[in-house]
Amino acid sequence: MKLVVVTPSGELFNETVDYIVISSKNNGDFAIMKDHAPIISAIDVGYIKMIQGDKTLYTVVINGALEQQDNQINIIAQEAHVGLNKDSAMDHLNEVRKERLEANRQRTQDFLQAEKELRKNLREARASKR
Amino acid sequence: MSSMREIKKRINATEKTSQITKAMHMVSAAKLKKAERSIKAFRPLTKRLSHVLSRVLNSDKELTHPILEGRDIDKTVYILISSDRGLAGPYNNNVFKAFEKYVEKQHQSKDEFEIAALGFKSFAFAKRKKYTLINKEVIQVRDDVQFLDFQSISDEFIKGFLSGKYDKIVVFYNKFINTLQQQVKHQTLIPLQDNPLLQIEDDDNGNAPYRTIYHYEPSASRVLQELLPMYVVNLLYGMILESKASEHASRMTAMKSATDNAKDLIQDLQLHYNRARQDAITIELTDIIGGAEAVN
Repeated sequence: MKLVVVTPSGELFNETVDYIVISSKNNGDFAIMKDHAPIISAIDVGYIKMIQGDKTLYTVVINGALEQQDNQINIIAQEAHVGLNKDSAMDHLNEVRKERLEANRQRTQDFLQAEKELRKNLREARASKR
Repeated sequence: MSSMREIKKRINATEKTSQITKAMHMVSAAKLKKAERSIKAFRPLTKRLSHVLSRVLNSDKELTHPILEGRDIDKTVYILISSDRGLAGPYNNNVFKAFEKYVEKQHQSKDEFEIAALGFKSFAFAKRKKYTLINKEVIQVRDDVQFLDFQSISDEFIKGFLSGKYDKIVVFYNKFINTLQQQVKHQTLIPLQDNPLLQIEDDDNGNAPYRTIYHYEPSASRVLQELLPMYVVNLLYGMILESKASEHASRMTAMKSATDNAKDLIQDLQLHYNRARQDAITIELTDIIGGAEAVN
């Protein structure tokens, strides 16, 4: 079965797998094996266990959809991360998210701070009206 | 006429400015390429998602969702996509102008709409004009835009729409046509009425196409409930990516013309400088000649 995971920043994963297990908060667990009937499902927060021979990989997904037809599985994910272990993958994703939000907040603060200083300097220089 | 030293000083200053604008031009060119790449990377997702959604919607004609239906409009939300920084030519101002013109036509008072400002510039604009803002904090549109940056705001207006707080959501953004051309567009994000992607596609002969019958987990309506907001948010994200490309393109053009103007200015000043130099030499010469004659 072919499995493709797409995210807003491009294709994350595109390989052949033996079967997958989808586990999500809203639907519980279910597996898709070869020649499964066409299926569409939504994933809120969950992970996909992908089995390739004796190798197992996990993709954690936040907000996504899954479509399977003719042994072609498409997973569309708002955010996703592939890892060897579901916990570490989830942790990594959360870590990245947290860092990003923190960086954004920091930038906003810097921006506001800079603006405040600019306004103060302008006032002091009495140059604002010229 | 100003003195030689003053002119020389101006030439130097202009040269330095033009160096900066030239560098900014090149940086923007590189960033534009990057933005174009991220648009390209994003395309498969929208394609697949709309594909899935049209499958779900076509499976049952009775299926519907508030996002697909219009209703009487009490409160409209306008999303203004701008940049964080200026020096991008008319990029931000065009959005604001188009928005003000549109609002003037559509609304009588400021209470009929709220604004979601993406980017520092539009935040400042909304504050200045005293519009009601949905986001209390600045939402930055960074050069390496990520989905996460807009998650909280998009959650907010989707929730607002579903709960009936907002009835319509319109986005104002710069559509990227090519490097030299960007066009301000407004597009209704919610409700998603006659969206071509969600229409039933007929094949070339006008027959309903062959359709796979899908199994839905847990149910078609639940899947729709989850996927429609996601689709809308992705639509918005696509517009943000496009604005980002427009921003870089706009800045590129602005910086290019700034560099060209600086070059013209330097040429002009150089002429003045040479004239001033010649004048000075002439005066010196007449002085010397006058002095020599006086001695004789």
